Amino acid sequence: MFVLAVQQGLNGLVLGSLYVLVALGLTLVYGVLVQINFAHADFVMIGAFSAYFVTHALHGDYLLSLAAAGAVGALLGYLVNAAIFAPLLGKGSELRPLIATIGVSVMLENGALALLGPVPYAFATRYSAEVIRFGPLYLTAQSVIILAVAATAIVLLHGFLRFTFLGKALRAVAQDRETAGLMGIAPDRLIMLTFIIGSALAGLGGALLAPVLVLTPFAGTSVIVKAFAIVIIGGFGNIEGTILAGLLVGLIEAMTTQVLDPGLIDIVVFGLLLAMLVIRPTGLIAERREENV
Amino acid sequence: MRQIVCACGLLLTFLHTPALADGAARVVRIGALLPISGAGAYFGVQDREGIDLALDQLAKSPPGGARFDVHIEDSACSPLPATQAARRLLDGYRPDIIIGEECSDATLAVMPLVLQAGVPLLNAGSSALRITDPGNRETFRILPDEVMQGEDLANHAYRDLGARNAVLLHENTNAGIGNAAIFARRFAALGGKVVQTIGFGRDVNDFTAIATRIAALGPIDVIPTYTLEGQGLKITEALAQAGVVRGGGGHAVQLGTIWLPLGFDQQAGKAAEGYVRIVQFEPRDPRPVVQDFVAAFQAKFGHQPTHISAHAYDQIMLIADAVRRGAATPAAIRDRLAATRGFSGVTGSVVFDEHNQNVSRDTIHYVETEADGSFKPLDWK
Repeated sequence: MFVLAVQQGLNGLVLGSLYVLVALGLTLVYGVLVQINFAHADFVMIGAFSAYFVTHALHGDYLLSLAAAGAVGALLGYLVNAAIFAPLLGKGSELRPLIATIGVSVMLENGALALLGPVPYAFATRYSAEVIRFGPLYLTAQSVIILAVAATAIVLLHGFLRFTFLGKALRAVAQDRETAGLMGIAPDRLIMLTFIIGSALAGLGGALLAPVLVLTPFAGTSVIVKAFAIVIIGGFGNIEGTILAGLLVGLIEAMTTQVLDPGLIDIVVFGLLLAMLVIRPTGLIAERREENV
Repeated sequence: MRQIVCACGLLLTFLHTPALADGAARVVRIGALLPISGAGAYFGVQDREGIDLALDQLAKSPPGGARFDVHIEDSACSPLPATQAARRLLDGYRPDIIIGEECSDATLAVMPLVLQAGVPLLNAGSSALRITDPGNRETFRILPDEVMQGEDLANHAYRDLGARNAVLLHENTNAGIGNAAIFARRFAALGGKVVQTIGFGRDVNDFTAIATRIAALGPIDVIPTYTLEGQGLKITEALAQAGVVRGGGGHAVQLGTIWLPLGFDQQAGKAAEGYVRIVQFEPRDPRPVVQDFVAAFQAKFGHQPTHISAHAYDQIMLIADAVRRGAATPAAIRDRLAATRGFSGVTGSVVFDEHNQNVSRDTIHYVETEADGSFKPLDWK
C-alpha cells in the first residue's frame, strides 16, 4: 500500500509539474496586467505541435524541440501583446482585451484545425517508452524530463523575479504601474516581457505535455480548465501559490484515481476550488498584492 | 409590379429546387451527420473518403438514372451539436435519407428528430443497444450492436484466451458504459470475474495513475477498453509503461471493439502488441467486392481504407441499392431498406430484423496486433 501511494505520488508530481508550467503563464500575465489571456490554451497547443514537428524534422531530438516550443510560445506572446493587448489596454472597458483573446483563441484553434486536421497525432518520443524502474516503482524517461524541466523553469523564474533588475522592475509594475512609470521604469516594455515569458512557459508546457496529450487542435482546452482552477486555488497572480496549487491538484488527481473513477476526480478538484473561494478567496498563500509576481 | 416580383420569386424557387434544376436526373439527397470537429473528428475524415469513393462510382453507373448528392453537417460526436446539425439538414437540405452519426449519444439524440420528420436514418458507427432496441421505425443500423459485439468478445476472451478475470476501461458515454456492462454481464455468466470497472471522461489525458491502479491489482487476464482513438493510444502506452499488458512485458491482453480504426496498431507501436479487437472490415477479405473497393480506394486516396471509410461506403451503396429497387421518396427508401436481402457490402452482408438492426454476424472480424505494429486476423467464429 505504501509503495502504491509513493507511485501515485510520483505520478501526481509529474502531472502537477505540467499543470504548474501552464498555470504559471496565466498567473504571471494576470499578476502584471490584471487580465486573463484566454488564448493561453492555444499557446499550449501550438507549443505541443511545434515540439511534434521539430522532433520529426530533427529525427527524434525531442530535447531540442522543447527550446523551439518555448521560442514559438514567446513569439506568439509578443505578437498577441503587440497586436491585441497593448493597443486595447487602457482604452475603455477592461473587457476588450479579454474578449479579444477569446477571438484569438478561436482563430488559432480553427487555423490549426484547417492546417493540421482533426485526427489525433501520435507523439511518442523515444523517452516515452523508456521506463526506469527502481524496485517496485517506475517512471518513464519522459516523466523525468518533465520533472527536471519544470523544476528548472520554476527556479529560473523565481530567481529572475527575485534577484534581477528586470524581475524587480516587473514586480514594481505589478504592484503599481503608474508609480513604477514615475520611477523611470517603462511599464509597456515590462508588460511585453511578461507576456513573452508567460507565453514561452505555455509553449514549453505544451511541448512537455505533447506526448501526454491527445494531440489535436483542441488539446490545450482540456488542460486550461485545470490551469484556471489552479490559478484560483493558488491565488490570482501569486506565483508561489500557483506552484503549490498545481502540485496539489496533480497529487489529488493521482491519489483519488486510486479509489475513485477518474470521471469523478474533477468533482474533487472543483470542489476544492469552490471551498477555496468560500473559505479562503485570496488563495492558498494569503494574497499580499505587493508580493504577487 | 407585385405579380412580377411573385413570378420572379417562383422562378428562383423553381431553379433552386435541386431535383428540378438538374433536369431529367432525379437527385437522391443524402444528409450526413459526421463528426468533423472534436475528439471523434477522425471518424468524419475517414467517413468522407468512403462517401467520396462511393459517389464517384455511382456517378459512373447511376442506379435508376439517379444522381446522388451528399450534404455533410458537423455533428461533433456529441448530442447538442448533432441535434442542431440534424435540424439544419432537415429544415434546410431536406434529405431523402440521413447517414451517421458515429457516436451513440449523438445518434440517440437525433433519432426523435428523424422520426418526427419521417426521414430514414442509416447508422453504421454507433453501438448502443437502444438505437435499435427499441429504436424507431426510421432508424436502421448496419453495425453490430453492443450486445452482438460485447457478448461475442466476452465469449472469445473466456474460451479462446482462457481469461478468468478482467478490468474494464470505458469512457463515460452511453456507448462506453453500455459496451462495458454487456461484456461484464456475459463474462460473469461464463464464470469470469470483473475485478474493476473504471470510467473516465473524454477530457482525461494522463492515464498513468489508472495504469498504476490496474498494476496494483495483480495479474489481469484481459482489459476490454472502450474509448476513442486518441485516448485509446494513451491508455495503451500507459498500460505498457506500467508493465500491465504484453506490449510492456506484462500478462494482460487489451480487448477492443470497433472504436479504433485500422492504423491504430502502427500509431501505438510495440505498446499495442497482443491487442485483440473487432474490426468490421478486413482488407484482406478475398471477396471481389472488398478487393475492388480496396484497389479503388488505394488508387483514389493513396492509402488503405479503414473500417470507418468502408462503413461510409457501404451506407451509400446500401441506399443506392434501395434506389435501384425503385425507392424514390423517404418513406419508400425506408421500406426498401427494411426489405433488404442479399446485399453484400465491403463490411459484410445486411439483413435487418424487425427493429431495423442488421443481424448478420459476418461483419465481425477479430485482429491481433503484432510487435511490429502490423496485425493478423484471428480465425474466431
